[in-house]
Amino acid sequence: MNKFLVVLRKELTEALRDRRALCMLLLFITLYPAMLWLTVHKTLERSAKSDKEAMEIVVIGGDRAPTLLAQIGQRNVTAALRDDMSENEITELLRTRKHAAVIRIPEEFEENYRAMRPAPIELWYDSAADQQIAKLRRLEALLRNYNAGIAQSRLLAHGVSPATLVPIRLQEYDIASSASRSAGFAGVMLGLFFATAFFFSMNTAMDSTAGERERNSLELLMAQPVRPLELIAGKWIAAAALSVVGLTVELLIAHFILKWMPLEEIGMSWSLSVPMLLAVCLTSIPLCLFAAALEIALAMNARSFKEAQALMTFAILIPMLPPIIVPLLDLKTASWMYAVPVLSNQTLLNELAKGQNLGPLPFLLTAGGAIVAAILAVGVATWRLRSERYVLAV
Amino acid sequence: MIQVEDVGKRFGQVQALDGVGFTARDGQTTALLGPNGAGKTTLLRILIGLLQRDCGSVSVNGVDPARAPLQVRKDIGFLTDQFGLYERLTTREHLAYFAQLHGMDAAAIRSRIDEAVGLLALDDIIDRRAKGFSQGQRIKVALARTLLHRPRHFLLDEPSRGLDVMSTRALRRVLSSLRAEGSCIIMATHVMQEVTHLCDDVIVIAKGRTVAQGSPQALCERTGITSLEDAFVSLVGTEEGIAA
Repeated sequence: MNKFLVVLRKELTEALRDRRALCMLLLFITLYPAMLWLTVHKTLERSAKSDKEAMEIVVIGGDRAPTLLAQIGQRNVTAALRDDMSENEITELLRTRKHAAVIRIPEEFEENYRAMRPAPIELWYDSAADQQIAKLRRLEALLRNYNAGIAQSRLLAHGVSPATLVPIRLQEYDIASSASRSAGFAGVMLGLFFATAFFFSMNTAMDSTAGERERNSLELLMAQPVRPLELIAGKWIAAAALSVVGLTVELLIAHFILKWMPLEEIGMSWSLSVPMLLAVCLTSIPLCLFAAALEIALAMNARSFKEAQALMTFAILIPMLPPIIVPLLDLKTASWMYAVPVLSNQTLLNELAKGQNLGPLPFLLTAGGAIVAAILAVGVATWRLRSERYVLAV
Repeated sequence: MIQVEDVGKRFGQVQALDGVGFTARDGQTTALLGPNGAGKTTLLRILIGLLQRDCGSVSVNGVDPARAPLQVRKDIGFLTDQFGLYERLTTREHLAYFAQLHGMDAAAIRSRIDEAVGLLALDDIIDRRAKGFSQGQRIKVALARTLLHRPRHFLLDEPSRGLDVMSTRALRRVLSSLRAEGSCIIMATHVMQEVTHLCDDVIVIAKGRTVAQGSPQALCERTGITSLEDAFVSLVGTEEGIAA
């Protein structure tokens, strides 16, 4: 039997018997789709709420200003009428954050209103309640409108054109919905899909290199009639295999979750066909190979499992950075992105999710970039295993 | 037979080996004696082809480990005080792994493992995973692994370190039978008792050089001292012995 296969089989046997590593694997496979589902679900929930939800306020002494009440009713604001409340009671009420604000119309309102003196209206609110800010703005605008309406009808009664009081007419168009704001976050989540490739292989990569050194079995292994490349390759493919299985299962689960959710409502889309999904899975295999190779090349320099875990921080940083940095830079999708591992997989998935027809080049670049990187890492690891300095350190 | 001639090895500023030469014959156990830092481990690593010598020549049964390390390793049983078992593999799997690395086929592996089970009394642990093995059980597995591919040469680096009396005796029994079968055994050790009991030939190295080679008796006679330990100290030079 080929010695590479001997090493591969032994490493896989050991990895599959490592209960802790298997639990981690299972956790990551399920955790990520679960997080994705939760993020999208929350976003959907929020967008549904802010578009349709009526604002609730409390009006005290509402019968003194029936016109105001009527206008409030027209603007999808529910006003709960109350009799007089003390200041403390109002404060208590606002603290519960059930109501966006309290409008109090004092007794002197009617008298002043009739005498055409400024009639007092009190607006009580809690500016510390962030979610209420937008509603408060709506309410203030409503009160300003009410004010302007009265002024205009009074001028009209005096024979003055109300237009005198309206030198400009401001029209505001706010295109931001809470959905488009949080869709950005869901996009980042989608990008982190591929970071997990680095988690699945990590334990095996560390155990078969740093762990081997910690158990003092590496020197013995190197003293066997087996080439350094065969040793590295066996350990590499074993770690990568776990990553491939993990990532594929995770992609499939995530696919069915996203397929089933009404993403259009938050300005996202997931129009990935099954053949395209398989193509994405296939092009992710080189990424898994790269992840495992990088981790082996790093972890073999550690004397112990613990030391290796510290080194793994670097390995995790690599896939974490592109999904976070690239959306910040606001770059347009360009061909070079397909040659950078992780970023390429992320870009590919995003473009496919939008329903783009990409042609074969992005797939080839995605696979090729990761393969080149993987071969480099394996080369470095093999060279290192062969070097005298490493033999002395073992 | 292992022949070493005038081998030198330098690591940066440190001259680890500076002209080591000796011959280890078949059917003999050759002790490699020397203070810590004398270069014993470096020498063994050169013999098995893990390190490259700077000068001199090495022949393991006519093969140079620098040229054909894989061929040399096939004919060497390598054992250190680190037994390096895999906790999640059973003894049988562990032995089969190393046998496969030596290129043995399935039938040969099965029959050799059965032999080893009989020779080293491994019945109770052959299908158990190595986690929780005692030190005695570990050395037995390590010995079985060293013997499994039937090498003609054995390189042992302080194999008895940390072993209890029973395990040491088991180790010695196996070494004696290997010697009787005509194997060539080189054993680096610090235990004088082991040398007098087991070894036919002694190589004393100090400061990376061969200081003396001969049977334990010959070394005693040469120095005029009856105890091998005292003879060793006088050969190495007391000063270095203390410094090391």
